[in-house]
Amino acid sequence: MKVTTTRFGELDIEEGKVIHMPEGMLGFVEKGFILLTPENLGPFCWLQAVDNPDLAFVVADAKNCAPGYTFALTAEESRALELSERSEAIFLLVVTMAPEPRDITVNLRGPIVLNPERLIARQIVIEGEKYTTRHPFFETSEKKQSGRQRPERQPEKNVPPAG
Amino acid sequence: MLVLTRKIGEAVTIGDQIRIRVVEVKGNQVRLGIEAPQDMRIYREEIYLQVQEENRHAADWNLTDLENAVSLLGSGDKE
Repeated sequence: MKVTTTRFGELDIEEGKVIHMPEGMLGFVEKGFILLTPENLGPFCWLQAVDNPDLAFVVADAKNCAPGYTFALTAEESRALELSERSEAIFLLVVTMAPEPRDITVNLRGPIVLNPERLIARQIVIEGEKYTTRHPFFETSEKKQSGRQRPERQPEKNVPPAG
Repeated sequence: MLVLTRKIGEAVTIGDQIRIRVVEVKGNQVRLGIEAPQDMRIYREEIYLQVQEENRHAADWNLTDLENAVSLLGSGDKE
């Protein structure tokens, strides 16, 4: 099937790859999306509405951009997503882009839960103060990077042992 | 909209599983106690609206911003 998109032109998509979001994204009526994961976009994927060329969200797998992010699904949600005990859901975070990359945020309060086998997804709202809708994206990524770039040899370790 | 008057300690029930009780009234604030199946998500309306609003912001983006972000990530990855 052909999917017309404003940002990426016309895409040829297998019909079986369409993700169904019976409740849509909050505030939007579209129910069918495709998830595209081009390698050159690093941790970013995009969720494109199949019947609205204009509507696309940048999303990122929570595993890659919010380590330790977790919440429990209700039984009703698991049922609606047709998750079995064996199947593992994917948590996608909606990214709010900005002209200045350091202003980019992810929405930890409204994750999209995706059943990758059945291709059913739902955006969930999480109550409480633990998570915000505007969590800085580069805060967590940079911590990882600076950790990796820290010089391995520390001067103190070169001091010869006394005795 | 159904509007009911309740005193402190009084409740309304919705269906047979949800009960909302007025626990305290202080100035212009009302504390509500909510009994509902554990399985049900309950949130303050503004949290829901915040997510809706953030979705609207998130849907409004352009490729240049995404490319900039990717290149910043790429440069950070260089060893």
